[in-house]
Amino acid sequence: MSGWTPSAVWIEASEVDSALAARVRTRLPSTPIHVVEEARLAEPPTFREGKRRLVVQRNGGSFLQHCPAGTPGVVCCSYLVMRFESNCPFDCSYCFLQDYVRNNPAIKVFTNVADGLAEIAAVLRAHPARTFRVGTGDVADSLALDHLTDLSCELVPFFAAQPNVVLELKTKSAGVDNLLGLDPKDRVVVSWSLNTPAMVAEEEDGAASLAERLAAAVRVQQAGYQVGFHFDPLIAHDGWEEGYRAVIELIFRQIDTRRVAWVSLGSLRMTPSLKAAIKARPRRARLLDTELVPNSDGKQRVWRGLRVKMYRRLLAWLRDVDSRMPLYICMEPASVWEKVFGEVPTDSEVARRLVAALA
Amino acid sequence: MTHAPELEQGVRQWAAERRYRHALVERWLRLDAADARALLGLAVELRLGENQLRDVWDCAEDVAARDRSSLAAVLTGPPLTRARRRAEGRSDRLKAIKAALRRLRYPQLVATEERLAELVQQLALPRSVRVTLPDCLEGDTLRVDIVVDSAAALAAAAAALHAAATRPECTAIFTLLEEAP
Repeated sequence: MSGWTPSAVWIEASEVDSALAARVRTRLPSTPIHVVEEARLAEPPTFREGKRRLVVQRNGGSFLQHCPAGTPGVVCCSYLVMRFESNCPFDCSYCFLQDYVRNNPAIKVFTNVADGLAEIAAVLRAHPARTFRVGTGDVADSLALDHLTDLSCELVPFFAAQPNVVLELKTKSAGVDNLLGLDPKDRVVVSWSLNTPAMVAEEEDGAASLAERLAAAVRVQQAGYQVGFHFDPLIAHDGWEEGYRAVIELIFRQIDTRRVAWVSLGSLRMTPSLKAAIKARPRRARLLDTELVPNSDGKQRVWRGLRVKMYRRLLAWLRDVDSRMPLYICMEPASVWEKVFGEVPTDSEVARRLVAALA
Repeated sequence: MTHAPELEQGVRQWAAERRYRHALVERWLRLDAADARALLGLAVELRLGENQLRDVWDCAEDVAARDRSSLAAVLTGPPLTRARRRAEGRSDRLKAIKAALRRLRYPQLVATEERLAELVQQLALPRSVRVTLPDCLEGDTLRVDIVVDSAAALAAAAAALHAAATRPECTAIFTLLEEAP
């Protein structure tokens, strides 16, 4: 078995007979496993150490939420997120989880997947005329734990059978083996967050290399999935123009643009508390050297003229490849959309276009 | 980190006098001696309040980390030394230091702001017209204020603005605001 393995696993006693717990035990035969009444772990000495612990437990709350990127003042793609896991084994220097799950002592996987699926099914039934986009990659990597959980084997058949939803599995891993034997029926998009090789090497510790991600994308596309790409965060590092252009060229030498569901762009952004969390880590992230300035939404980004320049460049290169590929930018105000795309669609129009492109 | 007793005492005494929070003092005392001393020198010289100190410190620390230098080297380097010497009053000195630090921390942004300021200057607008760039260039609109006390002054300002709007510098301003060079 390849892929991430934890240093230890804690399984809540009530879930010890669950299918997920059984799979984890089987696949981690030499990892210490603790069965506990309640997995209240002490805070680890470092944030990184928490990423080596796995907790198997029941989710007592809701699985389904609106994407937190949809804050007031930005054009939003009306995305929904489902949280079957929390925290991520990769340790990207810019990741908001460093702040969001700052005190989270472990990676958590939830056993009651069926409850989550029932929750989304109720929403889909209640709004039959609307097609939703749902992703599992906001507080977790959609595929990084799949070799332990087989979560995709439950999600893909479920979503493939729904008439009005598209599931996005967003990842920085190359763990697509489970997906290859499943039939997505055009209801599942597998997408990769990409960056330049320099940024991947420097800022995305533990994640698959760019070449590995692209190889995985080719495999799933050949297996019948639509794929997506997220240039997010775009980082204004030395040589960014050549770097991102080369990545785009590399992708589309191998990927069929007719089976690309969407490509998104998003600028590096951080809240003051995330910045403080990043600065508190032992290894200094070079991306803190970029010229981030405060924006009206409380986040810091590189100044707007530079963001617009970056978006325009990437957009032009992507359109040179195939002008029909659906493109959007994430967490930017209408005025930036206007400069980049020459129009400002409503939130619902952005969402409608993205699902229409899949039809 | 253990510092010379006089340095630790100096920091603690100054922090107590200015009522800095405990966490800030502890962070200060974790610095290298040269950094802690340079910061103390600046804090005493400018009688910095806690927020002022933190702003200067954070910015200088960012510059030091980027340039693989030290806090002391930034605080005592030529740009800040010039700023500390140049200005007269305490608040002017602090303003000059913050500007020098900002220039170090945001070189591309500041260069663009300066280019824009030059272009605004070249519009040769009367004193009754004030042009304000967006904060940190986070926007592509200019604010233009006209302050006049007569119809004639208003007409003159309007004429000057009309002329300015047709100049290539004006186009260059909006081009630069819209997209980085």
